[in-house]
Formats: sequence, structure tokens, C-alpha cells
Amino acid sequence: MVTSATLYNIMQFLNITIDIRNVCVFLAPFFSSLTTIVTYLLTKELKVCDLAGLVAAAMIAIVPGYISRSVAGSYDNEGIAIFCMLLTYYFWIKAVNTGTILWATLTALAYFYMVSSWGGYVFLINLIPLHVLALMLLGRFSARVYVAYSTLYCVGTVLSMQISFVGFQPVQSSEHMLALGVFGLCQLYAFADYLRYHLSPANFELLFKALLTTLLATLGTAVVVLTVTGKISPWTGRFYSLLDPSYAKNNIPIIASVSEHQPTSWSSFYFDLQVLVFLFPAGLYFCFAKLTDANIFIILYGVLSIYFAGVMVRLMLVLAPVMCIVSGVAASSLLSLHVKDIEPKVEKPDKKKKHENNLVFRSEVGAIFVCVLGCLLVSYVFHCTWVTSEAYSSPSIVLSARAHDGARIIFDDFREAYTWLKMNTPEDSKVMSWWDYGYQITAMANRTVIVDNNTWNNTHISRVGQAMASSEEHAYEIMRELDVDYVLVIFGGLVGYSSDDINKFLWMVRIGGSTDRGAHIKEADYYTGSGEFRVDAHGSPTLLNCLMYKMSYYKFGLVYTEGGRPPGYDRVRGAEIGNKDFNLDVLEEAYTTEHWLVRIYKVKPLPNRGL
Amino acid sequence: MMPAMAQLQFCVLFLVYVATQCTSTNVDTVSSGINIKNVDRTIDISSQLVKITSKVTLENTGKSPVKNFLLAVEGTGKAKLAFIGTKDGNNKDLRNVETDVKGNDDAKFWRVDLKESINAGSTASVVVETVYTKALQPYPTSITQQEEQLVKYLGNLYFYSPYPVSSQKTNVILNTKAVETFTKVKPFLQLDGSISYGPYSNTAAFTEKELVVHYKNNSPFLTVTRLERLIEVSHWGNIAIEETIEVEHTGAKLKGPFSRYDYQQDHHSGPASVRSYKTLLPASASDVYYRDTNGNISTSNMRVKKDSVELDLRPRYPLFGGWRSHYTLGYNVPSYEYLYYSGNEYLLKMRAVDHVFDDMQIDELITKVILPEGTTNIKANFPFAVTRLPDSLHYTYLDTKGRPVITFTKTNIVENHIQDFQLRYSFPRILMLQEPLLVVGFLYTLFLCVIIYVRLDFSIHKSEHPHKD
Repeated sequence: MVTSATLYNIMQFLNITIDIRNVCVFLAPFFSSLTTIVTYLLTKELKVCDLAGLVAAAMIAIVPGYISRSVAGSYDNEGIAIFCMLLTYYFWIKAVNTGTILWATLTALAYFYMVSSWGGYVFLINLIPLHVLALMLLGRFSARVYVAYSTLYCVGTVLSMQISFVGFQPVQSSEHMLALGVFGLCQLYAFADYLRYHLSPANFELLFKALLTTLLATLGTAVVVLTVTGKISPWTGRFYSLLDPSYAKNNIPIIASVSEHQPTSWSSFYFDLQVLVFLFPAGLYFCFAKLTDANIFIILYGVLSIYFAGVMVRLMLVLAPVMCIVSGVAASSLLSLHVKDIEPKVEKPDKKKKHENNLVFRSEVGAIFVCVLGCLLVSYVFHCTWVTSEAYSSPSIVLSARAHDGARIIFDDFREAYTWLKMNTPEDSKVMSWWDYGYQITAMANRTVIVDNNTWNNTHISRVGQAMASSEEHAYEIMRELDVDYVLVIFGGLVGYSSDDINKFLWMVRIGGSTDRGAHIKEADYYTGSGEFRVDAHGSPTLLNCLMYKMSYYKFGLVYTEGGRPPGYDRVRGAEIGNKDFNLDVLEEAYTTEHWLVRIYKVKPLPNRGL
Repeated sequence: MMPAMAQLQFCVLFLVYVATQCTSTNVDTVSSGINIKNVDRTIDISSQLVKITSKVTLENTGKSPVKNFLLAVEGTGKAKLAFIGTKDGNNKDLRNVETDVKGNDDAKFWRVDLKESINAGSTASVVVETVYTKALQPYPTSITQQEEQLVKYLGNLYFYSPYPVSSQKTNVILNTKAVETFTKVKPFLQLDGSISYGPYSNTAAFTEKELVVHYKNNSPFLTVTRLERLIEVSHWGNIAIEETIEVEHTGAKLKGPFSRYDYQQDHHSGPASVRSYKTLLPASASDVYYRDTNGNISTSNMRVKKDSVELDLRPRYPLFGGWRSHYTLGYNVPSYEYLYYSGNEYLLKMRAVDHVFDDMQIDELITKVILPEGTTNIKANFPFAVTRLPDSLHYTYLDTKGRPVITFTKTNIVENHIQDFQLRYSFPRILMLQEPLLVVGFLYTLFLCVIIYVRLDFSIHKSEHPHKD
């Protein structure tokens, strides 16, 4: 946000009158183009193959896994964050290769930018220490790495602590412990090297063992004491769910309820990366073949991010750049290997002897291979274009469908509802909706919401879930308590929009029942006797009388939705609704959009006494 | 003593005159030599506006010829009056000037200058057109979705005039038979969609008698509460116009819930609501956009006609009583239709306000005209009295010292105000080259810098051995 404001102010200063909204819209594409440049530099710095940088840059330019976050209009932190992450890596590799404080400081600055933009910086601050650790274990630890890491850690940590969201976490929370530990280890290692240089081997051995034991003992006690006293924060839920995919599902419903937090399926790997999936192992081979400090880093990054992307769909974003880099290395190495064969031989006497080969059809095999790889790359381009146009190009706020005659129908109901809220409700009114729509309502309707996409307040969301899952009288108490003026629900039963609130309802029940105050809400009550979730006449009475059901289906029982079906036929659930004829006592319909996608209800004030 | 006193008096009077000249207030007296022979008045209250057209036959009963006469509007109506226009018998516009009459502070007066003076004993006919806004009161003030909208008109049964009227007739057009109550002063006749009163003979000057009609009026009661019209003139052949419009349904407020089911099922549901309206743009308008803060509004249609471009605008939601909407409408027109020049002198002739919907009423209009950079000697000429706001500067692409912005505002606007204003200014044509030269110069400097940087070596010392790879 600071970035877009800065860009906006610069442009205003240059008398380029661009609306701040346009700046926000084009921020992600702008940063993704910078990402492409950084990818080129980063891959070039690996020095596996000369042309790998270009290939990798070309690949990341169109990889669907990254386009999903960098299309115009996706004003998200991730768009900037990936650029920052790659920039940090580039500076880091530069720092490791040169061992200068300048590059290390630049790394720290890039890291600071990353911290300020995305919570995923935790990945970065664990990856770099891991790299240092790996270098130590492989015996490649050198003064260059020492300088780079010490500078980065000191400057980077101090800078990151300036962000209020981070605060003292770098020295307290468990997620940052690896960085701190490796920093300590670095000092010890360097110190040990120094001692070894000055002492005789026997003395050194003794001293080393004694020091190591004391240190480990003190460290262990300190960690235990700090954890017990609560100075070191306990392991948070998201972190557990990274290590154990089933953790969140079993323990925290709100984390599991987000589709982006679901484990990735194999098909989505292919969908988002296509040919890169196959080039990746080849690229790893080439990295191993020419092992350098920088390559170890890329290998670590690739392997780790594959694991994390497997845990959470969302982290596919972290995986996409390294996939491109490694695949770029693979593709260009393979190509240059074989293109050499089909090129007309230049007469050079000394080279000729070296290239004495015993393979037949070298040039033919080379030509075929180049053709095959070319085809793969072309198909990658087509696949990326197709995925981008199909999956990532249409805004989720305006839905469209095809009519029977092929004409396009636009369902612009979300904006209709939000504009209505903005123009026709008192400015201080508070809107209750499920948290998915919180940010949208805040931004487009300019109204206060009870819960929004910032899901840190779990109990509050749970309270809203309880209101939605309770009967009308009980919900009224909760709504009075939360001081709600309007309630907004999404209902797709008329046009067949399947991600509506009834389909999310089980999550509301689960989240609502997950806290103490929602103990009366039991998931089992909302299923039929045979354990099904049905909205028709066989559905459980608790479901048919809860607030969410009533708000979604109010007056819907009179509507004919499909020919040959009874009125009140829900096109999403494919069933005639079970509770048709009811009135709302504590709410009144304030607005329903044209296709009934969004329904807004007004909470009636308390009735006058004596009525 | 006398001359000094007189001088002082003159000075004071002169000062007062100068001070009041700005609001164009004059002082007149009611001439006793004028009598109104006949008035034929039509009060059209079928829309949200009250449009009164009076055919007045003046008679000079005095001895000397009459060059001008006075028009009056009663004290209750003067705040709601949006427009007053006068025409002579040949349908030519007559000039009218706001004026004051001593002893009648309540009413408001206009002095109309006749083209040809009326000789003693002869007559002349004049057509007076007045338009009032917000003169129809919704009664009841709030209705449910299914109910019809009833409004009340409060007016004067007689033609309000500083002169005695010999004979007058009034015809009230309602376009509906559903009349709840109306004033019954004989002779009157209720017809299909209208009520006619009169003829009444010999009413004295300044006679007022309440005329009340309470009837059904489902025509759109839409008020543009604020309209900001931005005209950006480019000498490269284009004029961009952008209107930011705030609309409110000012009829009877919606009471109770809004039921989408009823609204979709029954086409007669919500009779007082506004689903869509038509806006007429100039025939040469192109690149039309219709959007609000949440982006493009996908519900609109455009038809290009011979003499105009007709936009069928549908707000995102139907407008019920008390509901508001807000949108931006923009388009481009070629400048050769509105911009005339000779040498370095330019004349811009454009509408101060344009059509929003039929029978529109605009509470507040702000028109801004952005002229090209380097414009000087700006002289404005407005067709009606406006408040000119201080000029400002506008900076946009490739501007250095800013473009001058002329701003003026007016309240209470109706369709009759769709008239041209004129702006004269001078602009040295050589300045057209400024912006291209700016870009060329910038690129030239940039490339020059790059060339210099690449050709020369700026490093402090040459590194002996390049970094280890």
C-alpha cells in the first residue's frame, strides 16, 4: 500500500494524473514485470548455463501459478512479495558469491521490503539460514558466507522489527529460531576456526568439547525456561499445518475452511506449471552436476517449496518462480548441449581432438531432441495462455453465463448490492455477513463490517457463525449484542451459483461450534438421520429453521426457477426447499439483487412496549 | 447646504446602485395605466415539475405608450421558481430583468421590456412561462412498495399580477383521472386528465386564493442533487465532457421492506419507482462511458439517432423513494462543432448544462471548463445568472504551468436552462508545439546521458582481478 501511494505521488508530481485506483490495478502487473527481470538476473547468477536466465525469465513471464496473483486488478500483497523475495534471493546469492557487505546490506533492505509486504517472509528467513547451515555441513562455509549472513541477520532483523506486525517476534517466536540459531552457530564456527588457527590440535579438541557441552546445556535450559514463562510464543496453527497437513483440519476449522489452505492436488500442479513439472528434476540434476554455493541455495529452495506447495495450494506461488528458474536451467542446458551438435562444425584444430566422439547420428539425435523440446515449450505457451484466459482472467465479482442462444448474460449482482448499501443505508450502519465478503463490503460499500477476511479474531467470526446457525430468536440476541443493522447473505439458488452461503454453511456451523459460547451448536444437528446435508423436506429441522436458511430462502418458495419443477426449486442443491412458507419476525428484507445473488436484510429494532 | 447634501445623497445612491448592480436589482413602480384584458393559463403538473404557461393580453388604458410591464410571483412560490421566460405574440424572446417594487417586499418582480411599445388604448399579447421545482408535495410522505404515489399541488387559483385582470381561465393538466380532492370554485369542469377553472372576471391586482389538487402522480420524481460538469478543451480536435451526477428519488419515501419477489412477479409493483431513464447527448458524442466508484455499470443501452445520441441508463438498482444513486457519464465530442477561432482568438460555445432526463430538476450545478495551457484573456458570457467561482489551475500530462479552469455554479436548474455559454480567450498557436517538444527534449537528454555514460569510464579504480566466479 505504501508502494502504491509512493508511485501515485511520484506520478502526481510529474503531472501524470492517474487515479489511485488505476495505480492499484496496475501495481501487480508492474511488479511482475520487475519479477521477470530479477528472475533473469538470479538465474544468470547461478552460472550453470549462460542462457538459462533468458529461458527462466521467459518462463516466469507466463507461468500460470504466478499469473494468478499478478493479473491486473489483483491488488494483493503477494504480487509485490514475490518480487521482493526473488530480489532478496538475488542479492543474497550476489552476497554469497562476492562476500561484500554492500550486497549483504542490499539483501537486508530487500528483506525489509519483503517483511513489510507479506507474512510469508517467514519462509525466507528460514530458507537463508538453512542454506548457511547446509553450506556448513558440506564444508563450504567461508568468510564470504560469514560476512553475508552476519550482516543480513543483524541489519535485516533490526529493520524487520520496525514493522509493528512483526515486533519482537524475531527473537521470541519459534518460527524465527532457526535464523537466530544459525547466526549463533556462524559466530561459533568462525570463532572455532579462529581458535583452530591459533591453538594446537590437541588443546583445541579439549576446548571445543568443553565449550560445546556448556553451550548446548545453557541453550537447552534457556529455551525450556523461556517457553514455560511464555516468552517464546507457542507454535502457531498455520505453522503446524505446514508440517502436518491434517493438523488444521482436525483442530482449527477456520484455517481449514479456506480453499487456499487445502492440500494441493496433483492435477493443480500440472495445471499451474505444466511442462515445468518434468523439467524440474532435470534442472536439479544440472544444478547438482555443477555444484556451487548458489546452486545449493536453489536446490534447497526448490525442494522446500515443493513440499510446502504440496501442503497448501496458496504456496504454489512460492514454488512457481523456483520451478521456472530450475526448469530454465534444464531447458537451456539441454538445448545448448544438443544445438552444439547440429551447428555446422567450425574448423578449429585443437577443439576437434577433444570432441572426438564415438556416437553415431549425433546431429540427427540432436535435431530430434531440439524439436521435441521446442514442441514442449510451445505447448507450454499455449497451455499458459489457455489457463490464464480460462481461470484467471474473469473477475470473480462479475459473473457471466451463456444463455441458450449463446448470448452472454452478466450477473453484476455483487456490485449492485454493494452500491445499494453504500448509497441507501446510514453511513454508520454495521453489516453482518460471512467473513469472505468483509473486505469487499468495506471497500465497495464503505460500511463497517462485523468480521472480514483478516481472520485473526477467531472468536468473533465464531460468534457470527453462531448467529447464522441459530434460530431466529437466538440469533436476534446475538445480533443485538454485536450491534448489527444489516445482514447480508449470498444466495445462488436462483441462478445456480454454487459458492453461496448455504454451501459454506457447514463451515459456519463448525466454526460457530468451535468456541465455548457456541457449545449449543452441534454439527450433527444439521444433518439428516442418515448423515446427509439436505435442504429439502427431509432435511433436519434445526437446519430448516436456522437464520441462514430463512434468510436465503425467504419468499423463494414462491419462485419458479426451472420448467417442470415445483416452485422453490434450488438449482444449486438440486432440490425443492423443505421450508417454504415462513415469515421473518426480527428481520425485514431491505434489498435483493436482480438475480437474488445477494440478499440484504435489515434488523428490526426492538418492538415497542405494550404492543 | 443643499448641494452638499444632494451630493452625499447621490454618492450613497450611486454606491448602493453599484453594490446592487451585481445582483441586478432595480427599483420599479407599478404603472396604473396597464390592465390585463385576458389571461389563459395552463398549469402542467403531470410530471414532477410545475410548468405554468400564461397567455397574457395586455391593454394600455393610460395615455402614454407603454414600453415595459411587470411580472410578479407570489411570496410562497418565489423560492421554488427555477425559470421564468417571456415571449411576445410572434414567439420571440423578450428580455426580463429582476426588479423590486416598493411596498411589496413579499413578492418577486420582473420587468419585461417589450419590443414595440403599446400605444394608448391598444393591446399586446405576451406568453409567460414559469417552471417551479419541488412544488409538488408527496402526500402521504411515505408509501409501501405496492402503493401509488399521491402528491399535493398548492398554488394560486388566480393569475398573480400587479395589474387588475378582467378575465381569466386556468387549465390544470394532471394526465390522470385519479384525483383525491381539488379546490372547487365555480365555474369549474373536471375532464379526463385535466381540470379547468374559469372564466373568472375582474380580479384585483395581487389576488391570491389557494388552489389545492391532491392526485395520483407516478411520474419519476428524480432530483439531481449535484451535477458536476467537466469540460476539457483540447486544441488537437477533441473536447472531453464528464458529468458526475448524484440522483435521488425525492417522491414519497419507501416504507417497509423491498420485496424482490413482488417486484419481479408483478410488473405493476413499485409504480412510483424508477427503473431507468433516458439521457440525450449531442449527436457527435463518442466513446461514451457510464460508471460509478465500483466500476462500469453494465446495464445501459446506447442508440445513435440523427440529431442526438440516446442513452438508456439503468441505475444498478431501481430507485424507490428516498433512495440515491451516483454515477459518472463521460463522452468526447469533436471540437470543430463548438470551438471557433480566428488567428489567436478563440471562442468556445457550449451548453452550460445538458440533458439528464426529461423534466429534470437539478439542485446544484457546477460546471468547470479546462482550457489549454497558455490561454490568456479569458472572458465569459453566460445565458443566465451564475455564480462564478475563483479560477484555478489544473495539472495533467505534460503540463508545466497548469491549465486555467473556469468554474461557475448555479442552483435550481431545469430543462429550460439548457443554453449555450460563451468563452472568449486568446491562445498563441505556437504553444501547440510545446508538449511534443517536451517529450522529444526529454528523450534526447535521456539518450544523450546514456551515450555519455556508456562511452566513458567512471570507475574510481580498475579492479585488478575480476570477481571470482
